[in-house]
Amino acid sequence: MASAVSCHSPARISISCSYSAPGRGGRPLRVAVVGGGPAGASAAEALASAGAQAFLVERSPAGAKPCGGAIPLCMLDEFAIPPELIDRRVTRMHVLSPSNLVADFSRTLPPGAHVPMVRREVLDSFLRRRAADAGATLVPGLVTSLSVPTGPADPYLIHYISSEEKGRREVLEVDAVVGADGANSRVAREVGAGEYATAIAFQERIELPDDAMAYYDELAEMYVGGDLTPDFYAWVFPKRDHVAVGTFTVGAKRDIKRLQAGIRARAAPKIAEAASVRVEAHPIPDHPRPRRVVGRVALVGDAAGYVARCTGEGIYFAAKSGRLCGRAMAEEWARTGAVTEAGLRKNYLRRWDDEFTLMFRFLDLLQRVFYGGNAGREALVEMCADEYVQRRTFESYLYKQMVAGEPLGDLRLLGRTVASMVRCGILGREVERLRRLDLQLLA
Amino acid sequence: MAMATSTFSPRPASRAGSLKPLQAGAKLHPSLSFPRFRAGRLARAAAGEAPVEVVEAPPKEVEPTPAASNGAAVKAEAPTKAVEVEAAPVPRFRDGRWVNGTWDLKQFEKGGVVDWDAVIDAEARRRKWLEDYPEATNTDEAVVFDTSIVPWWAWMKRFHLPEAEKLNGRAAMIGFFMAYFVDSLTGVGLVDQMGNFFCKTLLFVAVAGVLFIRKNEDLDSLKKIIDESTFYDKQWQATWQEDSPAGPKK
Repeated sequence: MASAVSCHSPARISISCSYSAPGRGGRPLRVAVVGGGPAGASAAEALASAGAQAFLVERSPAGAKPCGGAIPLCMLDEFAIPPELIDRRVTRMHVLSPSNLVADFSRTLPPGAHVPMVRREVLDSFLRRRAADAGATLVPGLVTSLSVPTGPADPYLIHYISSEEKGRREVLEVDAVVGADGANSRVAREVGAGEYATAIAFQERIELPDDAMAYYDELAEMYVGGDLTPDFYAWVFPKRDHVAVGTFTVGAKRDIKRLQAGIRARAAPKIAEAASVRVEAHPIPDHPRPRRVVGRVALVGDAAGYVARCTGEGIYFAAKSGRLCGRAMAEEWARTGAVTEAGLRKNYLRRWDDEFTLMFRFLDLLQRVFYGGNAGREALVEMCADEYVQRRTFESYLYKQMVAGEPLGDLRLLGRTVASMVRCGILGREVERLRRLDLQLLA
Repeated sequence: MAMATSTFSPRPASRAGSLKPLQAGAKLHPSLSFPRFRAGRLARAAAGEAPVEVVEAPPKEVEPTPAASNGAAVKAEAPTKAVEVEAAPVPRFRDGRWVNGTWDLKQFEKGGVVDWDAVIDAEARRRKWLEDYPEATNTDEAVVFDTSIVPWWAWMKRFHLPEAEKLNGRAAMIGFFMAYFVDSLTGVGLVDQMGNFFCKTLLFVAVAGVLFIRKNEDLDSLKKIIDESTFYDKQWQATWQEDSPAGPKK
């Protein structure tokens, strides 16, 4: 069975052909992919397309992961997402500062470009079905433990409780494992991949009356401010027939209720009086785990910590890392008849880091500078009013490419950044001085 | 120039702690500073203390009084009430010179030219107010004020020049005594000192150092910034740290 899988991104086109590889003793590679979200489904699809036996273990196939649901435009092409899966096409975005200055990101959107919003349950089940069509075996069940083998040729044993057989305990024997089970990854815990700091994302789904919903027709809003979250942003995102209002934070997890009340208050005139139909919360990793590959177990997606800072995006990186990991495993098996930790590091980790570390580090820098305090947030919104900033933002967000822009424009951008930071920093310090004056006069 | 990283920015938690009672919908903590804060505001507004405040005291003086009673009422009822506090509206920012979402520069004119210092002051007060009482956005009164309308020389005159003067003064004092000291020890005069490459390097280091380290606290802040900015990078590199000890495991 020969299959050609093509993926293309705006900068390069790569076509890879994989074939059913006999491997060791002529048998195909067996991989257990734990977790059936975008990461797991992409890994399973990549493995199955390459002729490996992929077992996709998912504990709740009908579940809906609490999520913003925004995916970048390049994901539609790279992962062949059909247009009917998209609930909304967001073409306008507002970023609102603590002093309610609004940056309107709508004038500079390239024609035809938009931010697709999807429902996670719809996207996830589509990706899983495609993996099954490619030859993966869907296994509904909850993984309870993992037995690490002693020798290099011994199999991993996945112990799981089957959802189909009413709680029967089963064991899966595989050559390698892909841990795609999200922020609370059991696989990561079993192999000792290390801990990471997590943010908590809290979201309320609110059904609005039609006229209020019309305001959010193609509009997504991001709010920044110390009253909403000390380290990220709060949002109002439109979904199919309701809006999701939420916030997320790393440092102020105990205050999450107060922060949520803050965003409800800030958006109050637009979502006024509407009650929430659902309240959900979920942890989001803040940075990668200390060990992303342990033995023949590779972590992908949220389990590995591939969530960009500053934007909080994870779906695209999950799917991409799943696919990359699956391909790396299949290629190594085809070439050498075995999957090894060194091979995984070279073919999966090294390639992933080379492609994305720069982007992640840049977003980390942006977050530190602009989300650190109200002065930074004001500067961020001031700068976002600039057309060049908006264009660069869209280019890098929609297509996931750190494009080198025009040197003069970049220099001007740097100048504007510094100027905005200085001015807003000065105002921030004035505010602090006034506050100290207040406290002094009280004493 | 301090970048607004978390190092330099005010810690929001500590400020928000004393002002939580006034945010709509927030669960109240028994905040001891709260009644004193409100009383202090009233006392100051009544006394009409600083001349700068006078201009804004009249429009905002009205606000604290109803808010104070609102606030007290909210505080007493908070334990029994549910989450939303619609009955006690948060006071909105109001100022005679804030028109249509921006500062009306004509009202800031002093002797025919715009008094930029007053604009900066007014904007700082507005931001402080909004930090304490965040307001919902209003599409009718969209904020359009951008700090770039204040010309660069106004910022410089008010903030950069005094500090530059201070730093130059300190540098001059230290420089004079160092030159005297070196001269008395080595007999090398000021002109000959400047001709020496080592001394030139020292001078360069001194100037650069003064730009970054102006107070004792700056040393700690710089160290913290360096730690913070490399922390994320270390997370990414962590997975590669085991290459040597572990070796290729099968």
